[in-house]
Amino acid sequence: MDCKDLVEKLYFYLDGEVLSEEERRAIEEHLALCRKCCERYEFERLLWDMVRHNGQNDHVPEALIARIESVIAQF
Amino acid sequence: MMKTKEEQKRVFQELLVPELPALFRTALRMTRNREDAEDLVQEAVTKAFAAFDRFEEGTNFRAWIFKILTNTFINNYYRLRDRQKAPSLEEMEDETSFQPSFEGVTPEEALLNTLTREDILRAIESLPLEFRAVVVLTLVEGFSYKETAEILDIPIGTVMSRLHRGRKLLQKLLWEYSTRKTGMEKENEKGWTAKTL
Repeated sequence: MDCKDLVEKLYFYLDGEVLSEEERRAIEEHLALCRKCCERYEFERLLWDMVRHNGQNDHVPEALIARIESVIAQF
Repeated sequence: MMKTKEEQKRVFQELLVPELPALFRTALRMTRNREDAEDLVQEAVTKAFAAFDRFEEGTNFRAWIFKILTNTFINNYYRLRDRQKAPSLEEMEDETSFQPSFEGVTPEEALLNTLTREDILRAIESLPLEFRAVVVLTLVEGFSYKETAEILDIPIGTVMSRLHRGRKLLQKLLWEYSTRKTGMEKENEKGWTAKTL
């Protein structure tokens, strides 16, 4: 695997999308050997972790929970 | 065997409650407005219960109810005014991109260190709907590409291409926010201005 192949597969790898065992191993080997790709991978991983973490950080308003309970009770 | 109404309600509630936070925040990202988000969730829950006898127990409830939520949003809430508010794709994808550089810190480190939750949410909510929906479902809520395709009723190839462009747009916005901040700090400190667009 070269750097170009890695860039193509990087998001599949980061998103946990199905890759063959062989492809996954090739990515991990390349990341272990190529500093540039490894830095890119680390940056992307941290960035998308931040996006996920911050995107998930909303609390459901109590008023909405009460509304939903009352809607269900009326079904 | 047919379930009684009370049994149906109980099963529905058991499946629904753990998903409420994710449904609410997704509604919030879609509507960009708390009041509309609450109404959207309530409407989606009402529709979901009405259709619950057609839901096959043991299948993916989470994907099923997200599909109802996103369809309800597109049908009832995605009005013309929202379309007008979103910047055009051409504006967002303008490729006059920049490579900020700050002394002693890589631009990537500067980006990661300066971004706030508000920046991230603002960037997500600035994306045009077709990209926002895919970004929220996959990158925030963790749905697989296949599940996202089923929720939004689009081919998986479209999910992948929208996700790719959505990621690029999001990164571009985040770089802009970060550079604006870091540029200002540097300017105050040393009269030095970061490269801008």
